Amino acid sequence: MKRLTLLIVSALTLLVLLPEPSQAIPALARKYGFNCNMCHTSFTKLNDYGQRFRDNGYQQPGQEGLEKTVFETFPPISLRTSTGLMIMHEPDSKSTTSGFHLNGLDLLAAGVMHKNISFLMIYTPRIDEPRAGYASVGSMDPSQPGALESANLVFSNLVQDVLSLRVGRFEPGYQAISSKRSYYLLQPYEVYEFSTPGNNFVFADNQIGIEATGHFREGIKYAAGIVNGSGANPDNNNAKDLYANVSKTFGRGEGQSSGQRVGAFGYLGWVPTSLMVPFSGATGDGDGKINKSFYRIGGHASLNYNTFNLQALFMYGSDDKAIGPVRAVSQGKYHFTGGFGRLDWAALPNNRMVASAMFNWITPPDFDKSSRVRAISTLVRYYLGDWTAVNVALHGEYTYRETGYTTIAKQHQFAALLDFDF
Amino acid sequence: MQRSLFFLVILGSALLVALAWAENPQVPITESGVVAHGPVRVGNLPPVIAPADNPQTSAKILLGKKVYFDTRLSKDNTVSCATCHDPSKGWSDSGPTSKGINSQMGGRRSPPVVNAAHSRLQFWDGRAPTLEEQAKGPIQNPIEMGNTHDAMLRTLNDIPGYVTEFKSVFGTSPITVDQVAQAIAAFERTVVTTDSPFDRFVQGDVSALTPLEKQGLEIFNGKGHCSACHWGGQLSDGRFHNLGVEPIEPGKPDEGRRAVTKSERDFGAFKTPTIRDVAARAPYLHTGKEQTLEDVVRLYNRGGGPEDANLDPMMLPLGLSETEIKALVAFMTRAMTSTNPEVADVKPIPAAELPK
Ligand code: HEC
Ligand code: HEC
Repeated sequence: MKRLTLLIVSALTLLVLLPEPSQAIPALARKYGFNCNMCHTSFTKLNDYGQRFRDNGYQQPGQEGLEKTVFETFPPISLRTSTGLMIMHEPDSKSTTSGFHLNGLDLLAAGVMHKNISFLMIYTPRIDEPRAGYASVGSMDPSQPGALESANLVFSNLVQDVLSLRVGRFEPGYQAISSKRSYYLLQPYEVYEFSTPGNNFVFADNQIGIEATGHFREGIKYAAGIVNGSGANPDNNNAKDLYANVSKTFGRGEGQSSGQRVGAFGYLGWVPTSLMVPFSGATGDGDGKINKSFYRIGGHASLNYNTFNLQALFMYGSDDKAIGPVRAVSQGKYHFTGGFGRLDWAALPNNRMVASAMFNWITPPDFDKSSRVRAISTLVRYYLGDWTAVNVALHGEYTYRETGYTTIAKQHQFAALLDFDF
Repeated sequence: MQRSLFFLVILGSALLVALAWAENPQVPITESGVVAHGPVRVGNLPPVIAPADNPQTSAKILLGKKVYFDTRLSKDNTVSCATCHDPSKGWSDSGPTSKGINSQMGGRRSPPVVNAAHSRLQFWDGRAPTLEEQAKGPIQNPIEMGNTHDAMLRTLNDIPGYVTEFKSVFGTSPITVDQVAQAIAAFERTVVTTDSPFDRFVQGDVSALTPLEKQGLEIFNGKGHCSACHWGGQLSDGRFHNLGVEPIEPGKPDEGRRAVTKSERDFGAFKTPTIRDVAARAPYLHTGKEQTLEDVVRLYNRGGGPEDANLDPMMLPLGLSETEIKALVAFMTRAMTSTNPEVADVKPIPAAELPK
């Protein structure tokens, strides 16, 4: 039996290593012998061409139906993982922890199955080991639960450029600035990860549902969808969540690497505040109807100058009082603001090096001041080689993070990693 | 054990099927005549395949070469194919658009004849499907050679040297338009270049390119996304794109590919030219308005020309730095310039040596 497993593993490895598989994700670059920077300002951030390629269902813009499908190429599989040294220092407790780190493994596959029909799949296999010895280091724990992060079908250009549909589990379009394609490996967009009391909704999560996207003349783009809701238990969630995101790019480009893009998004969701089955114990404030609403609205911008790109997102969030735990009458809805601003600079020919600085903040309501976050981060990434469809980056990242208000917990986090993707 | 053996057999055969599939040489062609198998890695050119009804013979090639350089094909004996497709000007002319009989200026730049044999469709708008078909065009074009096929045939059939040569190559006389076209096409199929520093680099000679040229190739294939359109051995997709190029006469846009397909999508779209030997044939684009390769790269860096209507969606500002622009130009200059002696040494045939 062991031998069988070995056989399968080596056969799969062989398949992955064979030349000439498919495009958008290293496998996609391999299909055409492109350098990764065709689609990425620098891996993983999409440039304008990559953005249009993705929006067009992983087909070259304007060239639908003129490419090889996945059936004519090798399996379009890619892998991504990173490994290196991570150090965390907490000045208050004078504790320093450090360890060699293996950052999760992702398996990605994407391709065109037929003119204007494509798919994307991202699977993170469950990893139990290595874990021993990491227990105390928090986010340095390299084990991961198995997850089907993405599995979706894209039907592109149903009505010219103005309607494409994505169905399945996908990265929803309200995430105006993609957290999945950020240079930062350790520091997330805090406001994307922030979950309010009693509400399982996490802005950063991929969602299951259906999304319409399209673009019009004059650089206007939209995304609108209907989804289960992140963290939703489908058995207890008859209300679906709705969202929309509209943006306009001034000048030529998509705002990723040229042109100036501004936009606004809104998300309206419902959370069950009591269970359909009798349940003892408080969920919500006790007298809530089955579903209570919450919303997130905000604006975003992506500005470009030469090889500088400034991206910023502001979010206002509000949860119905019934969603959270029982609170004093004087404490109304749970509302917060948050966001981030990030400045990226791509240097060296073909963007071989990128440097970035980022500020993240979350300002919770007065009664929950301990959730306040301020973080500044910076990173440098240097890409080795100009191989087609293989990316190895040396990655250095530092974050100083403060949480709380009356008592502030401080953290310094530093990582030197090798990030690779092929 | 038996199970794993079974598994191995299944996997092995799946692999073989996949391999056979991947190496299937059949190139699917769409209705409009462009290839449908998507971008192909930039690299070496495959050998030219002559159509079954016009096989290559050395006598035919030589005859075609004579016709190519013969001004007697034109109405007033002043213009030959080589007038506008001059070997010493990168098989193009000094532009901006080409000058035909009576010094009339045409509406488009003369594209290179070198490596035209590798194009699926001929002309900026792809209106001719073969070299044979193409060669018949200029003779009758009023501002190119200004002749008629009948008048040209009368001229050629009055030249005993040609009558004998055509007879020995094609076995029939009198000379026909198809024979003239076939002879020219046979010659054009020998005007192909396979050896440039870029070709040697692709074959594994890492010293064939300078560091700057290598950088240029990396950008061509990366940040500049040039190979999104300039791909394969020809460094051209053989498809049609609107680069937003300013028309020669303001307010009078050239409809380009639309004339052939009648599709609005093709308005102002022109065939992607090869990058091979591009340095020898300034000025550039179908209008001949861009003087140098650097000018062309700067146009791309702005996201194309000023005409927004129907701009190709792949045209996007690139954010290239001065060094990156230099690198791209370096790559397209020396690295893409061929050194095939059989093409580089082609000299016009002097009038005195043409058939009499
Ligand atoms: C007066 C100048 C002139 C003469 C003479 C001339 N051509 Fe051209 N040739 C052009 C121009 C201009 C075009 C492009 C026209 C267009 O696309 O509409 C062209 C296109 C071509 C092409 C297509 C190349 C491509 O990449 O699409 C070939 C091949 C060609 N000519 C060969 C010939 C041959 C063979 C002759 C002689 C029989 C000839 N030409 C005579 C100007 C000329
Ligand atoms: C959208 C497809 C596309 C992309 C991307 C593209 N090209 Fe082009 N290229 C074309 C087409 C089409 C033409 C001819 C356009 C015309 O004359 O109107 C052309 C013309 C050229 C010419 C002039 C050749 C001649 O004989 O006149 C050069 C040089 C060139 N491209 C280089 C590049 C470089 C360098 C890049 C990357 C920075 C690039 N191209 C990207 C399609 C493309």
